[in-house]
Amino acid sequence: MTYNDRTFGILMIVLAVAYGWGATQLPAPFGGSEAVGPETFPLLLAVVLGLSSLYMIVRPDPDNAWPWSRTGVELVVAVVVLVLYAALLEPLGFIISTTLAVGTLCWRMGSAPVRAYLTGAASGVVVFLVFNFALDLALPLGLLAFLEVS
Amino acid sequence: METLGYLIDGFGVALAPHNLMFALLGAFLGTLIGALPGLGPANGVAILIPLAFTLGLAPETALIMLTAVYAGAMYGGRISSILLNIPGDEPAMMTCLDGYPMAQQGKAAEALAISAVASFIGSLVATIGLILLAPLLAKFALTFGPAEYFALFLLAFATLGGITGKNPMKTVVAACIGLMIATVGIDNTGVQRYTFGVLELYEGVDFIIAIVGLFAISELLFFIEERAGGGKAKMVVNKLKLSWADIRNILPSSLRGGVLGFIAGVLPGAGASLGSFIGYTLEKKVIGKKGYFGQGDPRGVAGPEAGNNGASSGALVPMLTLGVPGSGTTAVLLALLISLNITPGPLMFTQNADIVWGVIAALLIGNFLLLVLNIPLVGIFVKLLSVPPMFLLPIVTMIAFVGIYSISNTTFDLYFMVAFGVAGYIFRKLQIPLVPIILGLLLGPEMEKNLRHAMDISDGDWTILWDSGLAIGLWVFAGLGLILPYIVGPILRRRMRVTTGTGGAEGD
Repeated sequence: MTYNDRTFGILMIVLAVAYGWGATQLPAPFGGSEAVGPETFPLLLAVVLGLSSLYMIVRPDPDNAWPWSRTGVELVVAVVVLVLYAALLEPLGFIISTTLAVGTLCWRMGSAPVRAYLTGAASGVVVFLVFNFALDLALPLGLLAFLEVS
Repeated sequence: METLGYLIDGFGVALAPHNLMFALLGAFLGTLIGALPGLGPANGVAILIPLAFTLGLAPETALIMLTAVYAGAMYGGRISSILLNIPGDEPAMMTCLDGYPMAQQGKAAEALAISAVASFIGSLVATIGLILLAPLLAKFALTFGPAEYFALFLLAFATLGGITGKNPMKTVVAACIGLMIATVGIDNTGVQRYTFGVLELYEGVDFIIAIVGLFAISELLFFIEERAGGGKAKMVVNKLKLSWADIRNILPSSLRGGVLGFIAGVLPGAGASLGSFIGYTLEKKVIGKKGYFGQGDPRGVAGPEAGNNGASSGALVPMLTLGVPGSGTTAVLLALLISLNITPGPLMFTQNADIVWGVIAALLIGNFLLLVLNIPLVGIFVKLLSVPPMFLLPIVTMIAFVGIYSISNTTFDLYFMVAFGVAGYIFRKLQIPLVPIILGLLLGPEMEKNLRHAMDISDGDWTILWDSGLAIGLWVFAGLGLILPYIVGPILRRRMRVTTGTGGAEGD
């Protein structure tokens, strides 16, 4: 099966065309155009990417299997956890969000839940203390702001 | 003699107490990074870069620490090769061949000590080579004009996959993707390109975010997919019984391996894996029937280990003198230089002499530290090796988050990093190499600048790009770099596979 490389090759050709078209739409720089304008280098790249992607379509490598079913779900879960971690870092504060994120990841990777969340909490507290006191870098406290020592 | 003077100044920098302290920390962390599963050297150095910034380290201190990490990672890779027959990174593959049999015969401690000594000798030989060769190459590189630089960058991309690379066209695709990402932002004529009006993109994509995302986050996803969360069996290491005769026995092998590795490291397209492979085959040839290779011959541990460490020091030569890295890890070190506002390349040897020579001196000192660290502390590293990835990788991910967050204190960067991680996972699935993407991101602005200068000089005549003998030479080598893998690659790969009996791991 050689669908992966072909699909990717087609996507990359679409990207190359869109990118190249985008380059031709760039405004001329202030002070008149020169031999190499802002569009020259991108146009070169678009041509090279187009040609090399074409090669991928013509001579694709055999596919690596994609993880569907359960493993695929685990992967999606992991990505969702990472996105939520980024989103909740400021509102919840570093320690709580780290406990949740690291804990969930450890748990999903096969640890017992209690140990997983304990690992998360411990690592969050340690890193928070190290950053805030030893390195003088303020990580957000969030919900735990009442603990702040002034 | 000039060189010696600079080197002594360099020692002055590297031996300053706080620099020495960070070198020690770096050497320790580096060995850990090399030893731990799922943390390659490039990955490890990438995660530590934002931390070096947030610590507010001086440029030379940051560079010294990360050079020590780099050197240490090469030491660490051998631990799991010897004890578990699982190479920590690709160049450590050859160490398995004789290291693991030695461990099975109850001589694990000896194998570890021998490989530490051989690594030390290999690095020492290569660092001396670096000291001799780098200033010469830097002087020569001063004659390069913009057209030659443009060709040199192409050469770097073309040879990045290495002679043993599988599909050079994928390297080209990857390099284009990287270069395209590099064009995002306001270019030096003041035109906004591909920003889509998003304020955060005006200054371009921060390559540190891209590197950490591509390496660290995609690694986490790979471990989840392979369900490799469980730990490895506990290992015990016997008490060390090593005599001077043993060390004398491996000296010639180590010296030969170091020299060969250095050459392989300097040459574009060869890299550390080939260095250790040649180191091993040469030892087999030289010693011939007197050896018992494959059954735990200490010289079979020493040769490739010296070769792989020699190659990793050799790989610093093109990075420091030309600003063109030849491997993933040196690309990450280049990222550090650029973000410290140091322009790598020949001028660095005159403009930032203290930094360059400080780093070279740090490499020497780092190797002494590593030798001292490695023999008594090997027990600790072995214990840490059995930390299961299911705890390790989430914590590493968290540290990546903290590092990226602390650069600019915005969550936008974090989303970006996760996006790069998912992209990195998909690329790796498609066997699109990640290193050219990173190199493209790093070299893109320089490449465009040199193209523009060349065109300005020639008044828009494209033939200037292959007008000088040097430029033509670089173009020819770049062409060979893309074509040779199709011709020689399959043969070399087969031979490496036959010797090691494994498929080989990704990346170095």
